[in-house]
Amino acid sequence: MNSAYNPPFEHDAHIGSFAPLVEEPVVRFQNLTKTYRMDRVQVTALANVSGVIAKAETTFVTGPSGSGKSTLLNIIGMLDQPSSGTLTILDQDVSRLSDRDAADFRARHIGFVFQSFNLIPVLSLRENVEFPLLNRKIASRARRAKAMEYLDAVGLAEFVDRRPGEISGGQRQRVAIARALVTEPTMVIADEPTANLDTKTSRDIIALLDRMKSELSTSIVICTHDTSLITPASAVINIVDGQTAQE
Amino acid sequence: MIWTIALRNVVKNARRSLTTGLAIGVGGLAALLFAGFVTSIWYGVQTSMIQQQGNLQVYRNGYLEFGAANPDEYTIKDWDRVVSLLAADPMLAEELAVITPRIDLAGVAGNAETGNSKTFIGSGVVPAEIDAMSGWDGWQIGQVTPASGLAGGGPDSVIVGVGMARMMGLCGALNVADCSDRPVDAADLAGEEQDFSALVAEESGLADQSLGNDQPQLNLMAATSSGVPNIARVVIEAAEPQAIRAVDNAFVMMHFEQARSLLYGDSQEATALMLQVANPERVDAVKTRVAEVLDQAGLDLGVYHFTEVDPTFDRIFGMFTFMFIVVSAVLAIVIVFTIVNTISMTVVERVKEIGTIRALGFRKGFVRALFLTESVIIGMIGAAIALGSAVVLSNLVNASGLQWTPPSNATPLTVQLMVLDNPVFTAAVVGALVFLAMLAAVLPTFKAANLNIVESLQRA
Ligand SMILES: Nc1ncnc2c1ncn2[C@@H]1O[C@H](COP(=O)(O)OP(=O)(O)O)[C@@H](O)[C@H]1O
Ligand SMILES: [Mg+2]
Repeated sequence: MNSAYNPPFEHDAHIGSFAPLVEEPVVRFQNLTKTYRMDRVQVTALANVSGVIAKAETTFVTGPSGSGKSTLLNIIGMLDQPSSGTLTILDQDVSRLSDRDAADFRARHIGFVFQSFNLIPVLSLRENVEFPLLNRKIASRARRAKAMEYLDAVGLAEFVDRRPGEISGGQRQRVAIARALVTEPTMVIADEPTANLDTKTSRDIIALLDRMKSELSTSIVICTHDTSLITPASAVINIVDGQTAQE
Repeated sequence: MIWTIALRNVVKNARRSLTTGLAIGVGGLAALLFAGFVTSIWYGVQTSMIQQQGNLQVYRNGYLEFGAANPDEYTIKDWDRVVSLLAADPMLAEELAVITPRIDLAGVAGNAETGNSKTFIGSGVVPAEIDAMSGWDGWQIGQVTPASGLAGGGPDSVIVGVGMARMMGLCGALNVADCSDRPVDAADLAGEEQDFSALVAEESGLADQSLGNDQPQLNLMAATSSGVPNIARVVIEAAEPQAIRAVDNAFVMMHFEQARSLLYGDSQEATALMLQVANPERVDAVKTRVAEVLDQAGLDLGVYHFTEVDPTFDRIFGMFTFMFIVVSAVLAIVIVFTIVNTISMTVVERVKEIGTIRALGFRKGFVRALFLTESVIIGMIGAAIALGSAVVLSNLVNASGLQWTPPSNATPLTVQLMVLDNPVFTAAVVGALVFLAMLAAVLPTFKAANLNIVESLQRA
């Protein structure tokens, strides 16, 4: 599936075209701070973190365990709100959206890949990939076709009717990637997507994400504590103790 | 897709879904069977009463308020002409199956042989017509009231209550089952003073008259409309139990003509006209028409539904309806708690899935809808169990010929649980079960929808 792979997508604007060298970043975050109050102790998970996510690039967020990587990704992915600071996605300030508006924004612009895959166990692989399209006004036939197309792209076309419980962890994460991409989001957030996988499978998953990024011109944000997974030509945000550390 | 997810989760947790469905089903079954019983009361008791007294009754205005104290002031004069008037109306002629007069009377009854006497209350009716009324089955429930037995005897025959027979010491003579006479010494009897109604009878020369058979006889004495005591000698045809003990102990039913001549002589008076409407759905229309006809004729008469005359039906039905409401409320509470528990368990098990769904951009409403749907499916399973088992069980009960005696009846009715006979009500019970499932799910679904996304995703 590596060499003879033919992309099923028709994104001519991106594939093969020469993008300008410096693109506008799709995400900017400035002075993001997140504090948790536990009893009387205040924990600062994130302190004044600023940065950008470039369009159609892979950005790795690295750092030791407990440094604040997940906290940052949850804020960028609009699952959580910062205690202070601003988040701008596609030039829109989204740091203080209501729950409903945040949900709608995620539906349109953000895909997620989780550490433990988080597929819906009672749905088949095809239905799992179709699932996020329920947020769109798409006829069921078109929805199904799109799901098949993306399952094919991640190399699982023959397993579409299986349930998540009937395939391996690496295959599940491929389905999760198809589900994250099927809505053609601006950005995919992947928090430790390979932590539950062996080294070989981990590399395949990162490679798949990297390839899809190019084909779909989607920004990918991958958080990992395993620096050996970082692919060349990727941006890296290193976090130590809740702050950005200089590379 | 919501239905797919919900349905597959119900199947996945088959045992729990089934247990919950069963709890709903058993609750619904109890409600349906009880409702079937209440429905059968609604039809059965009404049918009984319509067979006995017709759907509508015509009285002199004021009779129901004051007539009991002074019945002769409130009689229907020329009742036969009122009957002709009603029968002449084309609409009424078509709708009314029976129009028949009744006289209510009270007085003293005595038996010369046993020397017993006591007060009686009774009525005078036209035997053939009340027997025709007792065949009414306007709702086709197959309920029969036996004929009065009065038609078999001559114009002097009467039917008495079993209690009346016992008190008059006539159980033996009448061959009444489960009835024995008070033991009396023959010597006592001989020495006793003669009963006073027998005395009166002797004076009027009745005692010598023989009615030509050896059935036990009664002398009935009542005050005529002019206040003069009048007396009639009657033959007891049979003793039949009456629903109310106090009535049973004093009951005498006689031929209308007998009662009329006893009280009113040659005057054509009656206490009431009983009207039986063939089609029970038409009662209100017929009642309106009767009122119009009476009004146009300038008669001082009113027409009443039998429930207005006799509150027994409303009381019986009201009592069982109240019991049904209480039982249903208790069942509803149990059902709600069971469902709340089940849906809460499902939510707890699927916190991570809920976080994932929210992360993928679904609003809170989607999560609520998802679990609400699951609850509705379980509710529908419960409703199906309730309906299926209610139909099976009610058929078994109905086939077993179980009997019960409603407070309005002297003779028992066969229990007929009418589960599907009241489709609107049955649908309402089924709908209520599904609605309860929705209602019970509200709290857990809101909890599910309001979970913090980040915390949900961190769940193992
Ligand atoms: N809900 C929370 N309540 C309190 N402290 C938290 C919470 N979530 C994270 N933290 C703390 O914030 C810090 C950063 O956590 P996290 O972002 O998960 O780190 P990482 O993903 O880099 O391992 C840790 O010290 C952690 O204990
Ligand atoms: Mg983390």
